Amino acid sequence: MIGKVLIANRGEIAVRIIRACREMGIETVAVFSEADREALHTQLADEAICIGPAPSPQSYLSMEQIISATVTSGADAIHPGFGFLSENSRFAELCEQCNITFIGPRSDVIRRLGNKQEARNTVMAAGVPVVPGSREPLTDPEAAAKIAERIGYPVIVKAALGGGGKGMRVAQSPEEFAAGFQTAQKEAQMAFGDGTMYLEHYVEHPRHIEFQILADQYGNTIHLGERDCSVQRNHQKMIEEAPSKALSEELRGKMGDAAVRAAKAAGYTNAGTVEFLLEKNGKFYFMEMNTRIQVEHPVTEWVTGIDLVKEQIRIADGKHLSYTQQDVQITGHAIECRINAEDPSHNFRPSPGRITDMYLPGGKGVRIDSAIYSGYTVPPYYDSMLAKLIVHAKNRKEAIRKMRNALGEVIIEGIHTNVDYQYEILNHPDFVAGDIDIEFIGKMSRR
Amino acid sequence: MKLQNMFKKTNRRNRVIQGNARPEVPEGLLRKCNKCGAAIIADEVREGNYICPKCQGYFRVHARRRIEMMADTDTFEEWDAHLASCNPLDFKDYDEKIKALQEKTGLTEAVVTGKAKIDGQPVALGVCDGRFLMASMGEAVGEKITRAVERATKERLPVLLFACSGGARMQEGMISLMQMAKTSAALKRHSDAGLLYISVLTDPTTGGVTASFAMLGDIILAEPNALIGFAGPRVIEQTIGEKLPKGFQRSEFLLEHGFIDGIVRREEQKEILGRILKMHGSPMKTVCEGSAAAHKAAGETTVRKKAGSAWESVQISRKKDRPVGGDYISHLFTDFIELHGDRYYKDDKAVVGGLAYFQGTPVTVVAQAKGKSTKENVERNFGMPSPDGYRKALRLMKQAEKFHRPVICFVDTPGAFCGLEAEERGQGEAIAKNLFELSALKTPILSVVIGEGGSGGALAMAVADEVWMLENSVYSILSPEGFASILWKDSKRADEAAEVMKLTASDLKELRMIEKIIPEPEDFTEENMDVVCKELEFLLAGFQEKYWGMEVEELTERRYQRFRKM
Repeated sequence: MIGKVLIANRGEIAVRIIRACREMGIETVAVFSEADREALHTQLADEAICIGPAPSPQSYLSMEQIISATVTSGADAIHPGFGFLSENSRFAELCEQCNITFIGPRSDVIRRLGNKQEARNTVMAAGVPVVPGSREPLTDPEAAAKIAERIGYPVIVKAALGGGGKGMRVAQSPEEFAAGFQTAQKEAQMAFGDGTMYLEHYVEHPRHIEFQILADQYGNTIHLGERDCSVQRNHQKMIEEAPSKALSEELRGKMGDAAVRAAKAAGYTNAGTVEFLLEKNGKFYFMEMNTRIQVEHPVTEWVTGIDLVKEQIRIADGKHLSYTQQDVQITGHAIECRINAEDPSHNFRPSPGRITDMYLPGGKGVRIDSAIYSGYTVPPYYDSMLAKLIVHAKNRKEAIRKMRNALGEVIIEGIHTNVDYQYEILNHPDFVAGDIDIEFIGKMSRR
Repeated sequence: MKLQNMFKKTNRRNRVIQGNARPEVPEGLLRKCNKCGAAIIADEVREGNYICPKCQGYFRVHARRRIEMMADTDTFEEWDAHLASCNPLDFKDYDEKIKALQEKTGLTEAVVTGKAKIDGQPVALGVCDGRFLMASMGEAVGEKITRAVERATKERLPVLLFACSGGARMQEGMISLMQMAKTSAALKRHSDAGLLYISVLTDPTTGGVTASFAMLGDIILAEPNALIGFAGPRVIEQTIGEKLPKGFQRSEFLLEHGFIDGIVRREEQKEILGRILKMHGSPMKTVCEGSAAAHKAAGETTVRKKAGSAWESVQISRKKDRPVGGDYISHLFTDFIELHGDRYYKDDKAVVGGLAYFQGTPVTVVAQAKGKSTKENVERNFGMPSPDGYRKALRLMKQAEKFHRPVICFVDTPGAFCGLEAEERGQGEAIAKNLFELSALKTPILSVVIGEGGSGGALAMAVADEVWMLENSVYSILSPEGFASILWKDSKRADEAAEVMKLTASDLKELRMIEKIIPEPEDFTEENMDVVCKELEFLLAGFQEKYWGMEVEELTERRYQRFRKM
């Protein structure tokens, strides 16, 4: 029975976990680096233990310090949050060895899903579609052309040793392929001294769709619907919403089934997320499975009414799932905007410093998960996310309006934030129309 | 706003602690680093070559573990395992101490010797074990090492010793001292038989071991930050009454002072040792026919008409973006392993040398090395070697002689370094010694002047079987500026001087001072040096064909006559 949880994280997620524990009557232990003495999570928890200097390798990533703090404080479980040690199988294994409940999946499951190839093989065996590609390294253009035909156009040619876009070509047709393969190979030869190539189906203008999974230790696995996270800048998500405009009820069922199958095949327990790429034609492909709570979990919480962090703790404590698949009903529409301490006018460079004044919005259907307060100094050492602004309304149109209003009320003085940039996105006709894919931000900023 | 004690805390539920399965750290899961004091995961230390993941400090590794880390699986065959100390001085309580250590460590003495393979290369291997009286050398240690070296000499095996020791073993008195002489003598015979000895110094290597077998390697490597010295730091501090500087007697200090060839991190040790053993193990490869034929095809097209005036060549040879010694090493050779130090005073960075392959054959490469940036030039003293540089070059060339490796020199220096310290350490002596020794070195030598061939400083690396010059390199008695100032009391007439000094490649070819001229592209830089390297490769293959099989007497006689005629 979990009576005391150590939260091996900082920022808003640590605060989020402390709140969930408090509601469940579970005591909390915060850990903090020397830079986070004044941080909200440090002050909010029942106890707080300093685990080292500001740089995360010496504090929030120091497994030994965190294990020691857990044993010393008498906590029986660790919640790793996201980032830091949350997907470190070694850390989960250490917890197992020390008889500490790790609030997440088993270490062997984390290890398996952390390995791209192994994860791919596991879900493929369960009949979950993955991006078709050549398993064998290719050097001969003619043999490659045959495989391209089999994979289906468009295809992307990639250098085995590639990186930085060198030795990469997209071909829409067999005619383009012949030339493209040779140019890419030549480029690879020049850049990496090796002309070994791989082929993959090129997923055009995909959306990033992920499914939230919950699984208990007794083989019950359900999905909580999808989140559309296509609004990304340099692979960093900026806005997430649920449900996705691109999913019909039928497709949601199909993808949800696939997500559950993937989780079951991996022997998954606790909360997790299965990420897919979704093509315009409705074809979808497994990308990876995240073995932790996600930043964007509140949108799912709002449309399903399920408290994911509480469920995580219950599952880790050996309880059965509180819900069946039939219980899960999607209601209304939720959107989350990440508010970061960064300066959009200077290529989004981080903007740490003291928050001199602030005002955050509220009202019906507005939720803020944050760890900032007036007078708080944002340290330069960690992630720049300050707050998550989440809204919920009857439908997407109303949710967008609510989000615009909420963003319009956010006041954070003393540092730069991306609030105005988010406001712009919320007013962009393509976003409003729901006509977005993962290239949306790139196209928008080029304009 | 301050938040201290502002928030309400959790309303505690009645906690029922079930069973006794409380969280605890099982014994042996964590350990403490004895260097930085941090708690570390024992498994990570084991998997990470016994290096602290926090402070990167090196834990001492005992003999069996070291063998496991170095030797190919199941290849180690132990020699003289039974040999133990028999308390020659009847020292009180010594027998009991030895017995207790034998029980604790499972060893009979402080060194384990035997035969093993490293990356497939057979080697006689000896590893000291610090747990056993700080691996001090008594008669058993000395005997085991001596026997291993003798057996290696007989079986024509290279020797690899991992040293770690507090020095001689006090309990065995003068008998211990004699082990220094005994092991050294055995290594001398091993060396005279033309065999390779690699010494790896680990923390700590001190006293009588440093002053005998540890410092006698053809190649001496060390682990990072190992304490290496003769007298211990505490003894020195007490004697001189001063505090010693930080880093004194550490591997890095020894490297700077020219006593070790290199510092090798644990994760790279096996690979590097395997490469060195391989370079000394394979017989010389015969020239592949393709390259020889290609060389013949290239023929004498190398002689071209002079491009511009002598002064222009002087200026081109000094250009900042002209390829430097290091560029030739990386373009012409493979698997270069740099070896450092003169074993006397310093590692002179104006000279770079080491082992490499040329078309699959091991060679020794020595280059006078200018830098590619101002910062690097300061570090490399603008390619002006100190006596230490010439001594390093000579050391590497003598090593090449021992192992019958050809020597390829790249000459590029404004001149030998002109300074106080250089004179103090015998600049003239160092250059003279090189001329003396190189003239009779029993292995082929080729020198290629790639930039400035400045006087005696250049000649010290150009007493060779053949000397080649790049089209716009120069080779002269002194700089045109110096010449003009001495003869005409006007250094501004350097351009005029350059014309009369006969310092260009074509002048020197005419004077028969050099054998070949290698053409250069216009605006010669590293970018377009491939064409030069291709030509050099052809010509080198030809040099290889001509000299590498030559009888030693003929070779040295030819070299003698080459200079005798001048």
